Amino acid sequence: MIIGLAMLCGGAAAGVFGSLLGLGGGVLIVPLLTFGFGLPLRDAIGVSLVCVIMTSSAAAGVYLERHVANLRLGITLELFTALGALIGGSIAFLLDERVISLLFAGLLVYVAVSMARARPAARSTASHARSTSNPAIGDDPVTVSPTMLDRLSGDDYRVRNLGRGVIGAAGAGVASAFFGIGGGVVKVPLMHLAMGVPLRVATATSNLMIGITAAAGALIYIVHGGVDPYVAGPTAIGVFLGATGGSRLSHRVNVSVLRALFVVVLIYTAVRMLQRALT
Amino acid sequence: MIDERAQPTLALERRIGRLLIALTYVSVGLLLGGVVLMATAGTSPLSGGPALNLAKLPETIAGLDPAAFLWLGILTVIATPVSQVALAAVAYARNGDRTMVGIALAILAIMAIGVVTAVAGTV
Repeated sequence: MIIGLAMLCGGAAAGVFGSLLGLGGGVLIVPLLTFGFGLPLRDAIGVSLVCVIMTSSAAAGVYLERHVANLRLGITLELFTALGALIGGSIAFLLDERVISLLFAGLLVYVAVSMARARPAARSTASHARSTSNPAIGDDPVTVSPTMLDRLSGDDYRVRNLGRGVIGAAGAGVASAFFGIGGGVVKVPLMHLAMGVPLRVATATSNLMIGITAAAGALIYIVHGGVDPYVAGPTAIGVFLGATGGSRLSHRVNVSVLRALFVVVLIYTAVRMLQRALT
Repeated sequence: MIDERAQPTLALERRIGRLLIALTYVSVGLLLGGVVLMATAGTSPLSGGPALNLAKLPETIAGLDPAAFLWLGILTVIATPVSQVALAAVAYARNGDRTMVGIALAILAIMAIGVVTAVAGTV
């Protein structure tokens, strides 16, 4: 009973944080279950993927109803993320876990540094993109057929660097299958920094994508017997409660605070991954 | 003022949003039922749950087996984002957006390939 309650509370904490930051919470759930409850890493990853879907679905539903998420962009990038998850899931069992941990720690540090150095330039970037004449669409976008980038763009921002987005999305899928995460740690900075999507929209769209990515991985883990229903139940309920609260708080949270929280969680996860790699 | 062309997208987002929320609540209800049954039976979360057995799921649900409720909840959790993509594909098809229909169907195909590959690997 106490163990079940502890799992529920841990899941709730991961859910709040994950929802606010566009993460699935997997970066917190996997260490929680392995270091806190002594679960084997594979089982922790399997349960984490289920929880990640719960976080994503709860938050994405609210974001979509409020029209914050960019559905078209999310589904387009998700094609490549799902492909990455399929490839990642296929080779995850072939690589040494310590090598993966070390690589992932490096990736997290890189992303954390990028986010910490980034200025809140989404709005100015968007206005810059709109004010700059684009040879692909001409000066009057209304009179020509819309390009793919136009169709993926929002009302007050323009998506750019789709090629980078595709490559990054595939990488996020591989990371998801390796580590039991939704891949938000890659998707949010990718959309925000490389593709010019405002952070709030990137966070909401990431939530939308995370569930699909994690579902692709979770199905493979279930088939391999890597999901324990007794652990998944209380943990996932906790994640749901936390994610619901987090998504309703998101519009009240200052973007710079959100970014600082994001950097902190990235550094924390990097340290845990490094510890795993060196032990 | 909202662009007329944006109306189908907004409506689709609303529909998918509601679907996600509804299915999430269903899955939470099933998981909660399983956890309550677990607690009632004094089962520890760390005692090791049974693997999924789809053939016996209806029978074990009827017998109020905690693991059966938990598995049904987990499957509903996974079905939620899959439904999101399927609904988007249908809506884009109605709007004649072939590119997005192709992308959505390709995502579903990739997920199906993942399951088939994994099942083939375990047999």
